[in-house]
Parts: sequence; C-alpha cells; structure tokens
Amino acid sequence: MHSEAAIREPLILGHKTYHDITNDIVGPIENKAPRGWYILITISALIAAYGTGCILYLISKGIGVWGLNKTVDWAWDITNFVWWVGIGHAGTLISAVLLLFRQKWRMAINRSAEAMTIFAVIMAATFPGIHMGRIWMGYWVLPLPNQFGSLWVNFNSPLLWDVFAISTYFSVSLVFWYIGLIPDFATIRDKVTKPGMKKVYGLLSFGWTGNAKAWTRFEEVSLVLAGIATPLVFSVHSVVSMDFATSIIPGWHTTIFPPYFVSGAVFSGFAMVQTLLLVLRKVMHMEAYITKKHVEYMNIVIIVTGSIVGVAYITELFISWYSGVEYESYAFINRATGPYWWAYWSMMTCNVISPQLFWSKKLRTNLAFTFFMSIIVNIGMWCWP
Amino acid sequence: MSDNKRYWMDLGELHQQPEAIKGRENEFPQELAIDQVLGDPSFGKASTGRRDFLKFLGFGIGAATLAACETPVIKSIPYVNKPEDITPGVANWYASTFYDGEDFASILVKTREGRPIHIKGNPRFGINRNPALTKGSINARINSSVLSLYDNERLTSPMSKGAEGMTASSWSDADKAIGTALAGTGKRIVILTGTVISPSTTAAINALKAKYSAPDAAGVPATKVDHIQYDPISYSGVTSANQKSFGKRVFPSYDLTKADVIVSVDADFLSSWGSTTENTWQYSSRRQPGKGMNRHFQFEARMSLSGANADVRVPLKVSELPQAIVALHAHIAKGTGSSASGASAEVMAATETAAKALLAARGRSVVMSGSNNEGVQVLVNSINNMLGNYGTTIDLFGHTNFHQGNDAEVARLVENMNSGAIGALLIAGVNPAYTLPNADQFKAGLTQVPLSVSFSGYADETASLCTWVCPDHHALESWNDFNPKVGHYALAQPTIRPLFSTRQWQESLLAWSGSSSNYHDFIRSTWEANMAGLGYTTPFVDSWNTALHDGVITMGGASTEVITFAGDIPSATSVAQKSGEGAGEFELSLYTKESIGSGAHANNPWLQEMPDPLTKITWDNYVCMSPVDIERMGLNMYLGEQAPASLVTVKAGDREITLPAVVTPGQRTGTVSIALGYGRGANGERVGRAACTTDHEGNFVPVGKNAYPLTTFLNGVVGYDVLNVSVEKAGGTYPIAITQTHLTDMDRVSIVKETNLATFLGGEKRAYNHPHELAVHEDVNGDGVINALDKKPVAEFDLWEEHPVEGVGHRWGLSIDLNGCIGCGACITACNSENNISVVGKDEVRRSREMHWLRVDRYYSSATTKESAKQDGLGKIDMYLKMEVPEESPKVVFMPVMCQHCNHAPCETVCPVAATTHSNEGLNMMAYNRCIGTRYCANNCPYKVRRFNWFNYVSEKFGEVNPAWDDLGRMVLNPDVTVRARGVIEKCSMCVQQIQEGKLAAKKAGTPIKDGAIETACSAACGSGAIVFGDLNDKKSKVLEMATGDRSYHMLEEIGVKPSVNYLVKVRNTEEAAAHHA
Repeated sequence: MHSEAAIREPLILGHKTYHDITNDIVGPIENKAPRGWYILITISALIAAYGTGCILYLISKGIGVWGLNKTVDWAWDITNFVWWVGIGHAGTLISAVLLLFRQKWRMAINRSAEAMTIFAVIMAATFPGIHMGRIWMGYWVLPLPNQFGSLWVNFNSPLLWDVFAISTYFSVSLVFWYIGLIPDFATIRDKVTKPGMKKVYGLLSFGWTGNAKAWTRFEEVSLVLAGIATPLVFSVHSVVSMDFATSIIPGWHTTIFPPYFVSGAVFSGFAMVQTLLLVLRKVMHMEAYITKKHVEYMNIVIIVTGSIVGVAYITELFISWYSGVEYESYAFINRATGPYWWAYWSMMTCNVISPQLFWSKKLRTNLAFTFFMSIIVNIGMWCWP
Repeated sequence: MSDNKRYWMDLGELHQQPEAIKGRENEFPQELAIDQVLGDPSFGKASTGRRDFLKFLGFGIGAATLAACETPVIKSIPYVNKPEDITPGVANWYASTFYDGEDFASILVKTREGRPIHIKGNPRFGINRNPALTKGSINARINSSVLSLYDNERLTSPMSKGAEGMTASSWSDADKAIGTALAGTGKRIVILTGTVISPSTTAAINALKAKYSAPDAAGVPATKVDHIQYDPISYSGVTSANQKSFGKRVFPSYDLTKADVIVSVDADFLSSWGSTTENTWQYSSRRQPGKGMNRHFQFEARMSLSGANADVRVPLKVSELPQAIVALHAHIAKGTGSSASGASAEVMAATETAAKALLAARGRSVVMSGSNNEGVQVLVNSINNMLGNYGTTIDLFGHTNFHQGNDAEVARLVENMNSGAIGALLIAGVNPAYTLPNADQFKAGLTQVPLSVSFSGYADETASLCTWVCPDHHALESWNDFNPKVGHYALAQPTIRPLFSTRQWQESLLAWSGSSSNYHDFIRSTWEANMAGLGYTTPFVDSWNTALHDGVITMGGASTEVITFAGDIPSATSVAQKSGEGAGEFELSLYTKESIGSGAHANNPWLQEMPDPLTKITWDNYVCMSPVDIERMGLNMYLGEQAPASLVTVKAGDREITLPAVVTPGQRTGTVSIALGYGRGANGERVGRAACTTDHEGNFVPVGKNAYPLTTFLNGVVGYDVLNVSVEKAGGTYPIAITQTHLTDMDRVSIVKETNLATFLGGEKRAYNHPHELAVHEDVNGDGVINALDKKPVAEFDLWEEHPVEGVGHRWGLSIDLNGCIGCGACITACNSENNISVVGKDEVRRSREMHWLRVDRYYSSATTKESAKQDGLGKIDMYLKMEVPEESPKVVFMPVMCQHCNHAPCETVCPVAATTHSNEGLNMMAYNRCIGTRYCANNCPYKVRRFNWFNYVSEKFGEVNPAWDDLGRMVLNPDVTVRARGVIEKCSMCVQQIQEGKLAAKKAGTPIKDGAIETACSAACGSGAIVFGDLNDKKSKVLEMATGDRSYHMLEEIGVKPSVNYLVKVRNTEEAAAHHA
C-alpha cells in the first residue's frame, strides 16, 4: 500500500491502490476513448489540416504570401518559433529539474509535459524551416559532407547555433521521454489481451521485466538524462535569444535576453502545461491524479517567472533610456506607443500584471481561473516577440 | 636497320615454342559457356512468368524513365562565322545620340552579342559631357530607353485602318496607298512632328515638300506640304519672347558653369526645363563647396527637384510667380539705374535678397523662368539683359535648336483639320490626341482628314485613330543626325538590326517622295554637302568615320554679334501681371516627373517603378498638396502600405480629375500640382508594357490619370498653370506605392550631415563633421579628472581585428558627395539595367518589396532640434513628433544608399550557410546559389539595403511589369549578371562584373588599373560626379581623396561596421540667406 507521512497531503487523492492507479491510467488505452477525446481530436485535426494547407500554400507561392517586407524580414515565423520553443521548456523543467530536486509531485504530470515538449519543439522547428526562401535547400544548414568541396556552414551564425540547440534539445527530450515511457509500455503490454497489441507494446517496452535491477538502471539513466537535460533548459532559449542579442538591431541588441528568454520560456511553458492538463483532467477524468496542489505549485512558478519577466521588461526600458542611444530609445518608445502598441500593452498586462493575481491563494487554487489565466499568459507571451 | 627490330616477352615466344603459342591462344583460360546455354534443349521452351514479366516491365520502364530524368539542356549555339567585331562575352560600346524631343544626350550604347543592353552618357564628347569628370550627364529617361526597344506591345508591321479596325499590312501596300493618296489630294499635306533638330530629317521633309506641289493662287507651283513642329511640353512663350526681345525665335543656350548666382522662378532646370542633361552637370560643377560655389534661389509653388537643391527656396503661389519676375525686374532695374513698375510689397520683399545677389554678380548670373507666358519671358530677358548675362551665361547666337514648337500653328492646324482643309496629316514623334489641351477637337478633326499617317511605334492614342500606322524604328535601331546647338552635330547609329518589320519614318518620307535611297545613305549625302559648306577640308570618309566613332562633331561656330534688347517692357509687364490674375481658392500647376516626363516613357517599367525624387511614389500620379491643406481638408497625411491616400477631385472649369492627394512638404499652401504624362492608353490603346496594368478584378487600367486636359490654351500658347481650381474631397481612398514615407528626418545626425558654406569655410572640421564619440575611462582631455568630457571618436574602437584588405591589393569603395547629388535618380535606373533588377509592380512596392539595389533617400530637415525641444520644454515623444513635421518650406537632402560593403559586415556573420562573405578586395559578396533565404542578413543590415525575392518575380504573375519574363524583354538582360530566383537575397554587388572586366583588361594590358577605368553603373550614370568609384588602396585615387577629406563621414559610424562607402557632408551656400529666410 502506498503510505504517506501524516503531515503531508497525499499526492494522489481517493486512497487508490496500485491496481486502481493502473486501471485508471491504462483505462483510456484499453477501452474506447471518451467522447470528449473524439471532439477534441477532431478540432485539433481540423486546425492541423488548415495549418498544413497554409504551409503548402506558402511553399508553393513564396514567402511573399506573408506580409513581410524589406525592413521587416521576420514576423509571424520568428514569433511562432520563439513561442513554441518557450512552450517546450516546461516539459524539460518538470521532468529534469524537478527530478533532480526530488519534487515528487511532478510524477503525475511529467510524462504529459514531456510529450508537450516534444511536440512543441517539432512545432518550433517547423517555423524556421518554412520561413526559408528555399526550403528545399534547408538541409544546407546541417554540416553535412557535400559535393561542393570545402563548403561548410557558418559557425558564427546564431541561426546555426539554433540548429544545434534545437536538434540537441529535441533528441535529448525524446530519449528522456521514451526512457520514461518504457515501464509504462510494459504495464500496458501486461494488461492488453489482443496478441497483436501485446506484441507492439512488447516491442515498445524493450522487454521490460520490472525487476529491481531494471528499476535501478532506470533510476540511474533517468538521473543521468536529467543531468544532461537540465543545462538544456537554460541553453536552448539562451541560444534562441542570441538570434536577437547578437544582432545590431535597436531593440534586439540586448545582453539581458538569455536569462529573460529562459524565464519567459518557463513562464509560458507552465501556462501551456496548465492549459493542456486542465483539459486532460476534465476529459480523461484524472481529477484524482492532477490535483489542485499541482495547479497551485505551477501557479507559483508562474508568479515567480512572470515577475522575472516583468523585471526584465522594465530593465529593458531603463537600459534603452540609460544607454543614451536614440535609436534604442526610439525602438522602445515606438514599441509602446507606435502602431503595435496594442501588442505591447497586451503583453504587459498579460505577462506582468495578471500573474500577480496568483498571490491570492483563493485564485491560484481556482481551476477555472487558472485555466483562464493560462490562456492569458500564452497570449501575452505570443505578443512578446 | 632499325626497322626489323623485334620485341619479345620471353624466350618461348622468341623461339616460337608450341607451348607458348598454345598458351597465347588460350589467354582466357575458360571457354565461355555460350554453346552450353544456347544448346540447352530447355532454352527454347523457357517462359517468363507473370512475376518475372512484371519485374522486367518495371525495370524497363523505370530505366527508361530515369534515363529521361535529366536537366534540360539549353544549347547555346556558337557562331558558325564569327562576326569580326563580336566576341562572345565581351561588350561592344557604340557612340550614339538620344533625342526624343524632350531630352538630348550623347550616349554610349553597350551591346552584348548584338543586343543593346545598357546606355550611359558619352564620357568623351557631346554637350552633356562634364569635362571636369569626363562623364556624360544623362537622366533616368535616357538610360531606361533601352528597355522600350524590347517592349512586347510595339507594332511589328504597318497597320491600316479598315472597317473592322486596325489590320496588319505590308510596306509595299502602305507605300502604294499612301503615295497615291498624297499625290491625289488637292488639299494641304501637313507633317506634324516634335522639334526637329536633325538636318537630314529636315532635308527629307524638304524632299517631300518638293515632290508634292500644286499651283498656288498666282499659278506658280508651290508646295502643298507644311511642316508643323509641336512640343508636348511647350516652350512657345519662351521662344516667342526671344523673337520679340531679340528677333530670334530660339531657345538660348545656358552656361551655368559661369553662373555665380542662379535665380529660377518655377524653372525646374535640373529635371525638366530646357536642356536638362547640360544643366545638371553645369550646375553640379559649381556646387563644390568653396569660394566658387554658386548660389541658387528658387521661387516656386511646388517642391521641384531644382527647388530641393536650392540654397534659398521661397514658396510662392502660382499666381505670385509672374509677380516675382515683375518684382525682380523692378529691383534689377532700380539697381542698374533705370526704373520699372514693381509688384506687391510682399513679393518685392521676397525677391529682394535674390535681386541683391544678382546685382552683385552681373554677367555672372542667370535668371530663368519656367513660365510659358510671353510677357513674363520678355521681362526675364530684360533682367538678364540688364545684368549683362547675354554673352556670358546665356548664349543667343550659339543657341540650341530645341523647343521650336509653335503652339499657335498647332492650334491653327486643329482648326484647319476640322474645317476639312487638310488632305493628309503625317504625325511623327508626337501624340497630340493625348497631349493637346484640345485633344477632343484634334480627334474630331482627324476624322475629317482623308489620309492620316502615324509613325508611332505603338498603336497609341493618336496612331489608333489614324488611317495608317507606319511604325518607326526604335531609336536604337535607327540612323539619325542632330544639330542640337549651333556648330554642334551629333550622329545616332543603330545598335541592333530592326526587331520587327518597322521602317524609319524619314525613310518612309523619302520613299513617298520618290527616292529609293535608304536613310543612312541619305544622311551621308546630306553631311557631305553640309560639311563642304562648313569648310571641312579632311576627306569626307575620314571625318564621317570620326563623327560616327565619337558620335559628335563640331563644325562652324556661332557668330558673335551684339545683341540689343528690343522688348516692350510696359506691355510685357502688364501681360505678366495679367497672367497672375483671377486666382481662386486653389491654384494648380502641372508638371512633368523625372521618371515619366511628358508621357512618352509611360510604357517603361523601370521608369514607372522609379520613385519620384521628392514624393518617393511609384506607379502613379497624384495631387501634390501642402501639409496645411491636407490637414485642413481632413485628408490622409501619413501614407503607407496600410494607409491609402484620400481621393480628391480637382475641378478647373468644366474639366475635372480625381486623383489621390499626397502631402508634399514644401508645396505652397493653397496650391496643388499634378504630374502630366500619366493615364496613357485610357481608351484601351496598347501603348506599351507598363503603361497599363491589370487590377485585382482583371480590368486593364492605365497607370495614373491624364492631366493634359487640364492644360489651357490661352493667347496662342499652352499654359500649365490654372489659377482658379477647386479641390474637393471625393470620398474613398486609393492605395499608394511609396518607397520612403514622408516626414522621416528624426534627428538622424549620424545619417545625414549638413552645414552651410560659412561654417565649412571656417575650416574647423568638428564644427560640421563631428565624429561620434564615446566617453572613456581615461583622462583624454588632460584636465586631470576623468568624466563624461573624456571622449574618443568611435572609429578608434574596434572589437574586431583589422580586416586584411586594408592596404593589401585592391579595396573597392564609393565616395558619395551629398553636395553633388541632385537626386535625379539616373543611378537607380542605370543600376536596374546593369544588374537585371526585377520590376515588381505597384502592389509589391506598396508592400515595401521593391528590389532596387540603390535607393536615393530624401530627407527633409526641420527646425526642431534636440536643443530647441529642450528649450520649448517638449517631451521626447512630442519632440520626435515635432521633428517629423518639417517647416512649411523644408530643406531637402538627397542621399544615394546602396550596400555599404562593410568591412565588419553584420550580414556576413549571421548567415547560417555562409552565402554572403567578404572578398579579399573589400566587397561584401552574395552567392545566390548558396542562399537558402533565412533573411537574417537583411534583418541585421543597419542600412536596409538587402532585398529578398518574396516571389518568383520572373514569372507570369509579374510578367506584365517585369521585362525579364518574355523572350523579347529578356533580351535586355545583362548576361554577366544572374537573374535571381525566388527565395534568395540580393543586393548591390558594386557591379562586381565591371570590376572583373576592368581587372582582366588591365591584366591583359599588363598595367595597373587606372583610377577611373572601372565604373559602377551608378557612378557612370552620375554626370554630376556625386558618386565616385575606385580603389581605396590606390593612394592617388579620387575616391580615396574624397574618403579622406574633411567632409567625409560614414553613415551610422557609431555601430562600427566600417563601410566601404563614405559620404561627404552637404554644404549649402546659405550664410546670410538663412537669416533672411528666418
């Protein structure tokens, strides 16, 4: 039986046995998925199909279908890229950093957060891909041996660093996710009755036996991978931020970007985890596993990172004034009062002001409000780049 | 003996041992099993199973298909017999002459493999040649004209009008029909042309005159042929005034190199008035800051190109402009001891400074007026006469032959046409159905003329109404001779065989006058006769060949007689005064743009897409209005991609035009201006590629609207001012394609630097060219304290290692003198032509996606500065807002900007695939093939000079505007420069192909590259000498001299990118003028 210290609230509510837990978790796979799942997957599929259609249109016509011009060469693409990379951060943070800090509450949500990371990184990689004028030559960003002689990629370019950062992040996250999935697959394997399914899950679980030795190895590998993944939480968005920080464009050329991007990423990532999990909790009836406690913890992370982001915004403004560079200050004044003032102020409201409401315990434990806020935060973070 | 030597491998072979022989026969140790296989009894019965059959089929199809998968081979066919003077890959340059009635220039035509692809000014000969720089001055209209040669809407054969419209005909039919009709008519035959400055054309017209004659009233045979000259932009008032003043109906020749003071009243002599290709270089040659710098006063209503360059520009209402001349006349008369009636006190005061300057520079000044009013021009003549400018800055005897058109004769012709007195009308080089103020009457008259022949190359507004169209060659397919000025002759030679079945119109005249001579022979014979008459002694063949080689020959100078002014001042004054009367709420002036001119070039996509120097608008004409009027009427002030212009209706009597209103700082409040030359092909005529475009709904719409109907015909001359118009908000908006928004000065001290002459002559460099400094933590100024006053110029800081190109080999660079640049934009179209730059059309320009590698930025300057804002207690935002609003008459600076070829280029470091790299000659290079289109380089470019191919611009979608789309248009492409594909970045290469060509030439000659031997397209096109190209490592180069001079600075030097392009501070000659102005 699962036992908890008396002073600690149980992480799983409802006094579940291991058997109950297994049944609850594997249930959606064994049985027919609930109706809500079909509705949601249909909506998602429609959006995905629309997006794919747009991408095909873009590739067939040229980048000109976006409203870019000779001075604004990136907009939609870079915004989505940065936003999605940021989203990805929560998964790694939950699975790796919280593992190292032995935060057991992560167990209920880490797998889904990691899954979110994987897909977020795929989304993130899509945008730099499709933003290329000649996407069919996109593989040239990889340092591959080629028929052009000594032609090599440019290691000075932050975009190349992005390629390495994103691909490393993706592969490490994928391995981490999969390693974690192995015992889960084995559980499913043991539960399913159809021989075909048994075979598939048998393969996926790599013959997991669940003996003590395997578990020991599993824990060790998890720790090692967590050790590898933790620096990535900080490096990936730092590298992404260098796309801007190393450029000479007023408003971009800022050394504050790496830490600011990372905290922004965790901020938005947690918000996205909230958005997804609160839906999952409802649709898949996971109320016993994803508890108010989780929500509250994550909301606390949102307050902290939101405040860091807020300080960063203010620092940016201060430095633009303090630098005495008129272009720099104009860039910020224009950002706040120019044609895109609405984006700036919705960012400020959504990212800096609204998360402060979570100081109230009542609000940060209110699920409906949290869901609303998670959407707000993600809108704010999208407005930010 | 050595013949029977034997070679052997071993003794067995040598001694013919049987084993050895056998061994050799059995060299292949095993018999092939062919017999065994074929002899197998089951072989015949072998069958292919279904599966095997499908495998073979699959393989067979696969193999065949794969073999077909090969890149299509485009064969280039070598010459079977190579023409003597064509070497593939090497350009041939031919000296020729451009003249279209509007512009004149001696040019060099670059041909590649027999195709003319580029035009530049003749650097050695011609009136447009700047001798100090050895460059030929040229404008955008001239160098773009090469593109019109390859226009897919040119007529390809003669056309005749039948019951079912125009049908293609043949030259023999045309000659027969027209010859019969000419001979048969009992009425007058009229040849209507632009100003003819060609002796041979005159001779050809005379031949026709001689051929068709009829007995006159007295029974004496007299010609029934009249030749009438008509200028779409009339100077009739000027020439008539000269007739009245001096008895010579000519347009004088100006020599601005001798003018210390230039006063221009509404004469845009740098863009459209007079002999512009001459004016520009002469003007610029006196703009070098120093003691010899001229001073330029401009009085005008519209901010013209000349006004933008003026030291002192006084905005006046259109109705006040004649007053300004009257006032100037009064001032000068007073100053020279005579008297004359003056104008209103206000205008008298406004012209006082200019008059003083003129009086101080007698004989070294010039007054010009753009008015077509005879009275005004008589007064101008009188002013110049009183100042003693005739014989120095103005030459009446060595006059030009331009602008001989006579409006009164044209008006009479229209009357005669309508009364049925004209039997035949032959129209060459003009388009009266489009340009005449009374075009409707002309069109009605044309139906009364039994034979009307147009020589137009297009079925344009006039030609499509004529009974015959006998298309003329394009100028680059033609022979021609010109006599632009007394004593000055020029030749034009064809640079390509006629593309279509066209015929030079002079040759048509010769054919109809019974001569079978071709025009080339005809010119030679005219010249032979002429030259003998002018006392040429060298054998004709030699002098002809020299003239053809140089494009120019001077024969017989002008006589120098004493001139006496015989104008009637009081009557001229009253005519002038009267021309300013009747002013209404708004006054309209009509003008021609630097790009399209009078409208003959409307078909040219390069010109349509060239931004107007002042408004920076492409592809449209519009109503220029002052900011005050725009504000007052509640029209859209700030235009852009998302901000269309408001439509206004300008009504002049019963004529009206609805166009977008565009704010033009400097426009006198209460006046509006509209450009002529737009709205071609409004009735569906096919007048050339870019004159009309297809809109979103698929309708074929002209670019802009025709403003010629607003011109007036008064007192025998065409007038371009309407003093009483109403301007009303028409409702609705109109998208405008603008390349640089207005009101963008924004305290950009590190971009544009400007000073006045006194400060410059003061000699303290820091006063006018202050370097950007950074405070450092060391005691720089030696005052013992380290504080914010301890500063070092930013150039002394460098994070990077010195680039290895400095001081080694070549290091190419450009020096751009902001004083020399008049903003004309000839460099933009020259760059288009040299570098195959895509034309993208209005919609793309509107989205800020124009592809021009070179732009000319126009900055207005305002009186608000940081300091004055502080004094006025303005906040930062208010300060910027105020800075963005220029004064009513702002100052203008033009700044050509191309890739700065930074030696610490920010674009190079950020490209992930190293598609843009640095050459060891200091060039920032672009490898199109390697580019994957991330556009990071464009983002990181501080000068925003990189251009991206957002779409495949060489595709059918853009075929309407982009000449590179069809086979004919493609002929204009420079084979040395790649046409860029969709999805790649492109930018100025500093004409690397020209550099390579120059280097190869020097290498072949075994000499170092001479300074000036290599020119970029922009520097070659700049007759003002504002753009100078050269090797910064060549210690004696002009470019280095400029780059190291006191005026030199780098744009945005504080970011430390070390550009290879430097700019020279603009100096205005305004030391005391500024005080007056304030």
